Amino acid sequence: MKTELSRRRFLQGTVALSIVGATAAATALAKTEHKSKSKIVDFGLTKTQWSDKLEEIPTLCEMCVNKCAAIARVEDGVLTKLNPNPLFPKSRNMLCARGNAGIQALEDPDRLKYPLIRVGERGEGKFKRVTWDEANEYIKDKMVKIIDEEKDNRSTIGYCAGEGMAEHTYASFMGDKIGSLNYVNHGSICLATTIAGYTLTLGGYGQADLENADYVIMAGANRAEAIVTPDTMDMFKRTKGRGLKMVVVDPRFTNTAAHADTWLPIEVGTDLAFVLAMTHVVMTEERYNKRFCEENLSDFEAYKKHIIDKNYTPEWAQAITGIKADDIRETARDFMAHAPRAIYYQGRRTAWSLQDYQLRRAQAIFSAMGGGIDKKGGIIFGKKLPLGEHSIPSPMYDNALERIEKSKAASIGNSGSWIAWRNTIIDGTAPYPVRAFFAYKQNPMLSIPNTAKTKQMLEKMDLVVVIDTMPSDTVMMADVVLPESLYLEREDPVKSFGGAEPSIALRIPVVEARYDTKPVIEIMRDLGEKLSKPLFEISKKYDESLQEEIEERGEKEVYKEEGYDLADGYRHSQETINHHMVSSVYGEEAWKTLREKGVFYPDMSKYFKKVSANEYEYYPEHKKSYSIIKGDLNNEPYHDTCVDINEIAVLKKKFRTATKKIACALYNFEKRKGVDAMPTWRSELYKETPEGRFKFITGRHGQFTQSGSSNNALLLDLLPENYLWINQRIADAKGIKFGDTVEVRSSIGAIEIKAYPTEKIGKNVVFFIHGFGAESSELTLAHHRGANDNAIIEDVYETTFGSAAMHETIVDIRRV
Amino acid sequence: MARYGMALDYKSCINCKACESACKEENGILLGADKHRIWVGVKDIEGIFPDLSISSSGFEPSQCQQCDNAPCQTVCPTNATYYDDNGVVRVNPEQCILCTYCMEACPYDARYIDDRTMTVDKCNFCSDTRLINGETTTACQATCPTKVRIFGDLDDPESEISLVLRARDHHSMKEHLGTKPKLFYLT
Amino acid sequence: MNFKKILPYNRHTFSSFFSFERTPLNVFMLMLTVGLVGFLLYGISVYLQHGHHAYGVTRQHPWGLLIAMYVFFVVSSTGLCIMSSLGHVFNIKAFQIIGKRAIIGAIIAILTGFLVIAFEIGHPVRMVIYNVLTPGLTSAIWWMGTLYGMYLFFIILEFFFLNNGNHKYSKIFGLAGLIVGLAAHSNLGAVFGFLVARPIANGVFFPLYFILSAMVTGSYLLFLIYGWRYKMKFPPEVKKFMVTLAQVLGLLLAILIFFEIWRALTAIYGMMPERGDIAIHMITSKNFLIGEFLLGMLIPFVVIVYSRGRAIKTLVYTSITGMVGIFWMRYDLVHDTQLAPMMPLKIREYSLPPGLVEYTPTSIEWMIAIGAIGVSFMMYYTADKFFNLDHDAKGH
Ligand SMILES: Nc1nc2c(c(=O)[nH]1)N[C@H]1C(S)=C(S)[C@@H](COP(=O)(O)OP(=O)(O)OC[C@H]3O[C@@H](n4cnc5c(=O)[nH]c(N)nc54)[C@H](O)[C@@H]3O)O[C@H]1N2
Ligand SMILES: Nc1nc2c(c(=O)[nH]1)N[C@H]1C(S)=C(S)[C@@H](COP(=O)(O)OP(=O)(O)OC[C@H]3O[C@@H](n4cnc5c(=O)[nH]c(N)nc54)[C@H](O)[C@@H]3O)O[C@H]1N2
Ligand code: SF4
Ligand code: SF4
Ligand code: SF4
Ligand code: SF4
Ligand code: SF4
Ligand SMILES: [Mo]
Repeated sequence: MKTELSRRRFLQGTVALSIVGATAAATALAKTEHKSKSKIVDFGLTKTQWSDKLEEIPTLCEMCVNKCAAIARVEDGVLTKLNPNPLFPKSRNMLCARGNAGIQALEDPDRLKYPLIRVGERGEGKFKRVTWDEANEYIKDKMVKIIDEEKDNRSTIGYCAGEGMAEHTYASFMGDKIGSLNYVNHGSICLATTIAGYTLTLGGYGQADLENADYVIMAGANRAEAIVTPDTMDMFKRTKGRGLKMVVVDPRFTNTAAHADTWLPIEVGTDLAFVLAMTHVVMTEERYNKRFCEENLSDFEAYKKHIIDKNYTPEWAQAITGIKADDIRETARDFMAHAPRAIYYQGRRTAWSLQDYQLRRAQAIFSAMGGGIDKKGGIIFGKKLPLGEHSIPSPMYDNALERIEKSKAASIGNSGSWIAWRNTIIDGTAPYPVRAFFAYKQNPMLSIPNTAKTKQMLEKMDLVVVIDTMPSDTVMMADVVLPESLYLEREDPVKSFGGAEPSIALRIPVVEARYDTKPVIEIMRDLGEKLSKPLFEISKKYDESLQEEIEERGEKEVYKEEGYDLADGYRHSQETINHHMVSSVYGEEAWKTLREKGVFYPDMSKYFKKVSANEYEYYPEHKKSYSIIKGDLNNEPYHDTCVDINEIAVLKKKFRTATKKIACALYNFEKRKGVDAMPTWRSELYKETPEGRFKFITGRHGQFTQSGSSNNALLLDLLPENYLWINQRIADAKGIKFGDTVEVRSSIGAIEIKAYPTEKIGKNVVFFIHGFGAESSELTLAHHRGANDNAIIEDVYETTFGSAAMHETIVDIRRV
Repeated sequence: MARYGMALDYKSCINCKACESACKEENGILLGADKHRIWVGVKDIEGIFPDLSISSSGFEPSQCQQCDNAPCQTVCPTNATYYDDNGVVRVNPEQCILCTYCMEACPYDARYIDDRTMTVDKCNFCSDTRLINGETTTACQATCPTKVRIFGDLDDPESEISLVLRARDHHSMKEHLGTKPKLFYLT
Repeated sequence: MNFKKILPYNRHTFSSFFSFERTPLNVFMLMLTVGLVGFLLYGISVYLQHGHHAYGVTRQHPWGLLIAMYVFFVVSSTGLCIMSSLGHVFNIKAFQIIGKRAIIGAIIAILTGFLVIAFEIGHPVRMVIYNVLTPGLTSAIWWMGTLYGMYLFFIILEFFFLNNGNHKYSKIFGLAGLIVGLAAHSNLGAVFGFLVARPIANGVFFPLYFILSAMVTGSYLLFLIYGWRYKMKFPPEVKKFMVTLAQVLGLLLAILIFFEIWRALTAIYGMMPERGDIAIHMITSKNFLIGEFLLGMLIPFVVIVYSRGRAIKTLVYTSITGMVGIFWMRYDLVHDTQLAPMMPLKIREYSLPPGLVEYTPTSIEWMIAIGAIGVSFMMYYTADKFFNLDHDAKGH
């Protein structure tokens, strides 16, 4: 293999290489011990050289959800470096630690290399290598049996997907083609409540214009460690007295808090009370942007009355949130003083508590009261460049039944409620059995609260198929494992990225797929070829509408026209499809530019400028899409106490909500589903932490992507395992010292982890980083490293959207 | 010929360690926590929850200071450590005898042992991977999300770094030792 | 040509070389030597497989036990050289008997020192080449190494001429060896003293202290060598010499203690960072209090003062504690220099607040360091077999 060769060349003159792995431990400074494995961890070691056969290929990172633009340096066919691509406005010429460590992901010797079929017991991790055809044949046999037995109820095939550029390729195959309605993705364990809250209130989730904001409240959003582009890059250049005032509300002192002007540690799960109290301050002191509210907020007066009637005073909130009433007042006043360039940041992973949805609504309304919506420096919606269409016919299945957990929350969307869905399967309340499960690019064994139940769910299945790149814990539970090529080895669907500076970006393969792996589009095509005919036969048996159709139009015709050929949308290469999507809208030249540069937007060559090595200009200021919502210009003199009239030239806008206004009250939702029309604090939904016990919270780390990068040698160098944050004084009282192993026990399980006593967390909260603690022994480095939070997080979800409530678990701590 | 230096807008640092991983991949540095050319210093916060002192905390990204008067060079018995034409302090692995005196002498803990060549290694401003090819960025500078580093020629009065250093207050580390660092921390 | 005329030596057969009086002490020494050399060989074999990974040295503490041991041996060498020069270079009567035995001791000690350092320096052969091709003239290590090389050359010649009775030349080379040795040795002090990065070591103290402590070391060694040679049954002139030596040692120890006190006071006064704190840590550590101070200085000093230098037998025994103390002086010197982390903010995530840099020698380091003493014993035994190391009627 080429890499091996080049590495050998590079390692010439090597001495004592065999103990390189062991020396990772040999630092006196690091009192934490890097549990060195006996393995050499030098794979993926590259040095940029100057080879004659140097290629620089633009691509997109997929080490996390952000999709930063990268330029791969490929020397003699070997990827030696991933550099940031400055052309992409969303990633602003950066690659984070994980992006740089993509090479290690490519070189990881533990990668899935060929299709596998289980030979041992499920979960035992014993597989045999098979060909793609054997794997597909196996899947076909099981599927035919199951779907036949379920009388063509396609929803008996459950499936999940993690976020990714090809997620839609997979989801459309499983949903539109195979016809199952039982889909779950990251929505309900990630951002469902904030997306819903902001969309129902403002007409869109929007984008926080942190490049231009003067004031931001970051509540439970850790942009320094949970990297989101371009927010992370825009914020921290201007914090610390350099233009952007930041209030961080977080029970922990995070790296984001280290950049704050004020840090307000809050009792876990009480943010709603905090926002309501700030709203109370602003309402009673009349500090909001009156004209904007009058013109653009529906039911504003009712909301005002509601807030004041309920007496959501800062003093009331102090008792709940632990934040001083004066701090609440000051923050509310400061916010409005800086509005409309003031943002209550929407948040990202908002799967926290039972009141999340109302919290996000309250935030959105509070932000709107300052006028900073669809406004430079506020929450903006920006533009998205349209792409061409690639449509494929999808069959209608009469017998495909409604998703199983539909009744478990007020509104369950197409991407479901992961926890409710899974629990419905195992507690036997499902209206029909879900008998097969497909997972693509998701690791539910580690991602969904209550790992034991996820395992139970998978054990119940007649067929489990997992498409992944690594032998994850979920892969260990599979019957059939289909290895996908790594993102650096494949072309993915072209994507348009909206915002004030919209653009289109493309992932191009930078190296050849080195093992017997395939991109998901080909996996779907092969499966489609295998499954189409046999499954069609089953539909013919049970589907009366289909039988009629066939009678009318003939079998061949119906099969083709109605999309029963499951592979029809996946026969073209991804490149051909992308070509069509781009050139049909922007022409051939655009396509050429995109392939050559990785990024395209109209007038890029004219607009894009390098200001310095660190600064690039993507659009001239007047071409940026800050305010895009049309409205009526109203210039009549108006005396507002809090805002410069020039800041609100467009006064009355048409937001994309039902009322075309920012919605303070949603009476319909209340009438139909019993969801409070206006954000209301419900003390019965708040769980206090009993004395001497702790609320467990979870979250990100800057050098890891959830469970996905836990086997990455370079990243593990930076942080070898997760630790339990526990208040220093509590730890002292319990005799827990740094590095001691402690047991963390909840009602559903217990884990052991090393302790990190610190004053950066309160006395009734504990925390550790999500993503560690893999059980899969095929992950040489990740195996049993640190602890898995989902083994102790209770499977609680809120009942509006079925979103996981991950911070509702009470735990006990004990030294072991 | 240039005299390369680096200015750091260190208040922008978020301790993401992109710079450290970029340097490792760019320069083929062996894995192992001790093997690094670049790092982020962390001022751990003082105070007692919830009254923590935000001003006491902070991040201090750092690497070899490329001293104009480098103790590591002065003490090197074989001149394996030398100043190159761009004023970059570098190590010639052919000449290094691994006496580690330079590691002892460097006030900044900027040096480490490369286990392949069994010689001492350090940041060389990406001289052999980038500057040599006419690139004028370093891997750590390019990759940083918050753009902490400004790299350039101190002898060129019009270079970005010269402009910034003329305009903004800055300090260097352990200046009192007379090492004349070419890393400048912008305040 | 008769080599024996130029350098008189005793002929030996295989069995005569290995024959010695089987006293319990001798047998013990034999076993000790064999054991030590075994350790050394094992240590070296591990080192050759694993390089510096076999050692406990780290990025923040690159110098460890072997550097300390190297210093220990070269200090011993210089000490013996200085003390012997008191007799045959400076013609101090009582010391005139010590010539050859001390010089061979000095040669052995420095050779052992070089042996130890060869397993610390990564590329000793390359060192020889580039020391000459591209000399680093500002480097204290370069000067130290080069001067020690010359020193070794001179004292070998000195020994040579002592042995064949050429007083003129032995005196010339003795003087040359002494001067170069002093220069080399103070340069070794400067290796530490020049470290601007390390306030605890930086300054004039080490170059001077090295000479002083070398003399103390030399004295202890002379006690041991002569104690062994005469098995505690000293002839009168030796007895006389040893009493004088004890008195000189008493004086040296007094000066040393004086030095140490002022060093500690100046370091602690004002509590300058990386100096005051380190000094306090240093003088309150067991290594210092028990190792350096009690064993290395106080016990011998008390014995000398109490007996007015006459308890020479006790002094032979306390010289053992003295040498243990001297070892800790070397160890502490190396270790304490590196105690303060250079970049205290450089911490890994999830670790305790940075403290002092830690270092624990590995067993391999101990094996090489202590094992090397066995090589000294071997060399001494050999030298004692081949050469007549006693002073003769003619003077030396
Ligand atoms: N490096 C890195 N970056 C990432 C990811 C990654 O895995 N690694 N993942 C990406 C993804 S998928 C997502 S969804 C985002 C997540 O981005 P974020 O949502 O910003 O990150 P989290 O760490 O999940 O949670 C944020 C913070 O909420 C705090 N918190 C917990 N409970 C409460 C509470 O009751 N009130 C308040 N105010 N705060 C609370 C936690 O202490 C934590 O610091 O990050 C994205 N970026
Ligand atoms: N306790 C707790 N649980 C959480 C969170 C938390 O903070 N705490 N965060 C939640 C959030 S915000 C999210 S978004 C979810 C994320 O949960 P997941 O979507 O499960 O993300 P990961 O844990 O990163 O696992 C991704 C899986 O995809 C695989 N993979 C990576 N790249 C590819 C590829 O190119 N192709 C294929 N086929 N597979 C690939 C990886 O090997 C890994 O097995 O987790 C949620 N769960
Ligand atoms: S934030 Fe980091 S991991 Fe995520 S896409 Fe960008 S470079 Fe890749
Ligand atoms: S890449 Fe930039 S922000 Fe990240 S740690 Fe390095 S200097 Fe700090
Ligand atoms: S920082 Fe250290 S390694 Fe770098 S030039 Fe200065 S003394 Fe040498
Ligand atoms: S280790 Fe190498 S570079 Fe450092 S001082 Fe010794 S010879 Fe010079
Ligand atoms: S300049 Fe280059 S060699 Fe130096 S730390 Fe940055 S990336 Fe590494
Ligand atoms: Mo997420």
